[in-house]
Amino acid sequence: MNPAGWTCPRRIGFLFPHPCGRLTPIGCPDCNNGQIADPYAQRADRGAYNNYDSYNEAEWREAYAAEAAGHEAADFTEADGENLVHPEEDEFERNLGAS
Amino acid sequence: MLWFLYALGGGWGHLTRAAALARAAAPRHAVRIFANSPYAGLVRERLPGVEIITGELRAADADRFLVDAFPRGLGGELPPLLAGTDRPRIFIHRDLNPQYVESRNLRPFVEAHYDLVIQPGAAEDAPLSGLPRAAVTAPWLIRSAHELPSPEAARALLGVDSRPCALVCASGNQDELAWYERAAAALTAALPHAAVRLVSAEGAGLRYWPAMDLLPAADVVVGGAGYNTVNECAACGAPLVARAWPRLYDRQRRRAAAHANVTLVETPEEAAAAARCLLEKPRPHALAYVNGAVEAVALIERARRL
Repeated sequence: MNPAGWTCPRRIGFLFPHPCGRLTPIGCPDCNNGQIADPYAQRADRGAYNNYDSYNEAEWREAYAAEAAGHEAADFTEADGENLVHPEEDEFERNLGAS
Repeated sequence: MLWFLYALGGGWGHLTRAAALARAAAPRHAVRIFANSPYAGLVRERLPGVEIITGELRAADADRFLVDAFPRGLGGELPPLLAGTDRPRIFIHRDLNPQYVESRNLRPFVEAHYDLVIQPGAAEDAPLSGLPRAAVTAPWLIRSAHELPSPEAARALLGVDSRPCALVCASGNQDELAWYERAAAALTAALPHAAVRLVSAEGAGLRYWPAMDLLPAADVVVGGAGYNTVNECAACGAPLVARAWPRLYDRQRRRAAAHANVTLVETPEEAAAAARCLLEKPRPHALAYVNGAVEAVALIERARRL
């Protein structure tokens, strides 16, 4: 028998692991009555999503920033636009049979 | 004088317009036409006195440097030549795709590199019109009014008797010929009491140039909406059932819409239906017309390097 107030602490889900929250593992298809260990227990990159249902921006932004520390931000500015546009790719002055 | 005329471009239009100027200038000036039209051979046959060159651009000995339609050249190759000549440079401004005008910054380019801009026909609505050195003439036509055959002579050329005559003028690109052939077949089926004639440079049609010689015989014309077909039919008073073809630089639909004698269609069957309706009405009386190529000769003679 589970203690009062107990909810399953395993994380389930595919792309967005989140706490299972079931009140009992009996009949649970994800852990087969508690026989399957939490598959995300060793996944450090999922740490930032432990509070998936929490939409406190400050909370997840701080967690993500910590995880992203050491990586360069890929910020695009308008100056990059000229590298993404290729005016010579139009057909003008490329077809000597045109009219 | 010797005038060099750059007239590169597919189909008939650039070469025919160049030939119109060459004919108008012929009593006083020689015009060397530089063209890559697949129909240059036929035009040489019909105009043995006009020099038409392909391959090498020879303009060093010319007194005037003229460019038809593409101010930077069809391949963008003209800027150094325009900058390097000390002769007057004249741009012949047929209608152009405004996207081309904008993408290649043509307005300042033309202002800097040309001494005269001639718009061959007010209806062309050219994007670069309004430049200070621009002049507008009537459309340039391969035949002046006094040169046109009589309706009887034109009928004799077509082998047509006194029946109503529907003329299908296949112009433009070779892969469009099939549409004109289907149009001729549809007209033949829809107009059992009329004489239907197909004029084309290839295929089963009558191989004849310039088609303008045949227009006095036509009670209705089926053709494209290119510069020469539209303006020739307007000059001759011939009702035109036109298919506006997609072109990279030319806006055929726009040109057709600007002419009251043009009925736009898409399919050969629509062309036959439109032709049948038009044949039920009397053909408009042909008015005397001005050949803008003659006007242009005087403008080019007076051009000065700025």
